[in-house]
Amino acid sequence: MSFFTSGAFWFIEGILAVLAMIGLKVWMEDRQVPMGLWKWILVAVWMLMAGFTIAFIGTSVGESEMAAARKGGIVFSVACAIAGAIVWRLLQIGRARLPSDSETAPPSTGGQESKETAGDGNEKV
Amino acid sequence: MDRRQFLKTVGGGSAVAGSTGLWFFGLQSGQDPASYTGWTNREGGFQTFDRKRWTVSKPTYEKVGPTSRPDARTGVIFARMGYLGRYDEEKGLDSFPTHVRQYYTEHPEDLELDTRIRQDIHKKRAEDSRKYRSEFILSRAWSSAMGAVGPRGVNGPPEEWDFPKGRGPATPYKMKDPRQTSRLIKKVAHQFGSTLVGIAKLNPDWVYKYPMGGRRGFKANEPIEVPEHWKYAIVVGVPMSWDPMYANPSYGTSNDAYSISRIVAYRLTAFIKNLGYAARPHTPGASYDLMVPPILVDAGLGQQGRHSIVITPELGCNFRPSIVTTNIPMEPDKPIDFGVDDFCKTCKICAKQCPSGAITTGGKETIRGYRRYALHASKCHNFWSSKLGNMGCRLCVAVCPYTRKSNWLHRGALNVLMHDPTGLSDVALAGMQEILYPGKDPQKYYMPSMGGENAAYRDPPWWLKTGDFIELPEDRGQ
Repeated sequence: MSFFTSGAFWFIEGILAVLAMIGLKVWMEDRQVPMGLWKWILVAVWMLMAGFTIAFIGTSVGESEMAAARKGGIVFSVACAIAGAIVWRLLQIGRARLPSDSETAPPSTGGQESKETAGDGNEKV
Repeated sequence: MDRRQFLKTVGGGSAVAGSTGLWFFGLQSGQDPASYTGWTNREGGFQTFDRKRWTVSKPTYEKVGPTSRPDARTGVIFARMGYLGRYDEEKGLDSFPTHVRQYYTEHPEDLELDTRIRQDIHKKRAEDSRKYRSEFILSRAWSSAMGAVGPRGVNGPPEEWDFPKGRGPATPYKMKDPRQTSRLIKKVAHQFGSTLVGIAKLNPDWVYKYPMGGRRGFKANEPIEVPEHWKYAIVVGVPMSWDPMYANPSYGTSNDAYSISRIVAYRLTAFIKNLGYAARPHTPGASYDLMVPPILVDAGLGQQGRHSIVITPELGCNFRPSIVTTNIPMEPDKPIDFGVDDFCKTCKICAKQCPSGAITTGGKETIRGYRRYALHASKCHNFWSSKLGNMGCRLCVAVCPYTRKSNWLHRGALNVLMHDPTGLSDVALAGMQEILYPGKDPQKYYMPSMGGENAAYRDPPWWLKTGDFIELPEDRGQ
């Protein structure tokens, strides 16, 4: 039995998956995206899909089934990319608008915008 | 519960779950058949499919009318070949004894196919062999070596040969419990080298009505009386080596599995005789007194597929069995149904890939009272006889979607297939098999003089690529 087909490997994979999820959580908090249970389930499903795709390609190459690796790899990768885009869009639901959004920018006056200048001549926006 | 408390609770629960998981990981590591280095394949660790969940009360072949036992003299292609030496075109069917004449009267196409072998196919094969044979030097050497060791064979009638006679006790030992005896027989059969073991009550319909010539102690042309002591049939066997098997029809061989299957059967026979009971091995290399596939179905090892080979959950149809008939009291296994019949209705990959057209794309027929897919043995044998490399074809074994190595991907697909009640996965997985694991144009499997390219389903493994190890003659064909 090799390391990669052993229980120890899956133990480590589990730790890595949890760390990845924690990292995603922190990143989403920074972007002010609230993560509920249904979003975590979506993320988990997508991670399984991506994992399946990678493992499928590897297994097919290992079996010397190059046609399967190529065709299946393309199909599953495209499906994964599309699903990933959809999941990403769904994750944005409920996201708070950041200060850089237009809401807090000064309204347009129709002419040239006046710019305040600091004493040193630099523009202040 | 506040967040901190929740995290503490989850953390504690995870610790418990993780620790429990580690316990089972350790237990499994200790018991794992894979840890029996050197005897890994003899601890029964490959017969892992949970058959209990899929057992059925009746075997999956359908009995539809009065049944009859097969006549091996004409029903088995190898036996018919023995008569063809007498064929004289001028005399026609009168060249043959009555039973053969009757067979060819009922199956005129088979006469044309069977005679073509000597008249045409062998000549073409001899020509192509001179040009292309060197390509198969290593695979032929390997096949020959695998067949180099074997038991002496059965050479007496059942009422004499099958009984211990000085090798075991004067009277059979009294076995305590048929179920325990079944466990014992399966354990020792695995130890003797069998990958799969199954036990069935022997159905007399599977015993040949007439033997294949005067062999194994029977008199030619005298009917076989099914012996009373042929109560049970124990199925043993092993798969062919996987990588050469995928390189069929040319680079693979049956000998790798045949030789081990034979040895296992003879060891098991000796074991049973040492307990005082009768036992008789029926082994590949055409040394049988009975038909094997339906016995595998009765023994719960698998179901018969479109190509007439029994498909097992563990090995697909890559399984070359032997049978030991015996009277040692055992509890037989129950037949199983894991969806092969439905899948074979949809799939048809074996039929599409078969170069000879021997496998039907149509429905089942009634043969000797049973509904099953018919295999045209003469067409199959003609292709066998024509191709270069080792004897036999085995392409239908290689292309069958069930015949995949045991890893997460193929086990997962099998589980989806078995648990899907809608049948949608039959269509989806058969389609994926054709797209992802395609075969070649069937004509390409033929030798060049018959319009082919000596193609194989997959490239041979590195250790059978002759040109990488041996200087090949420059004037050989490609």
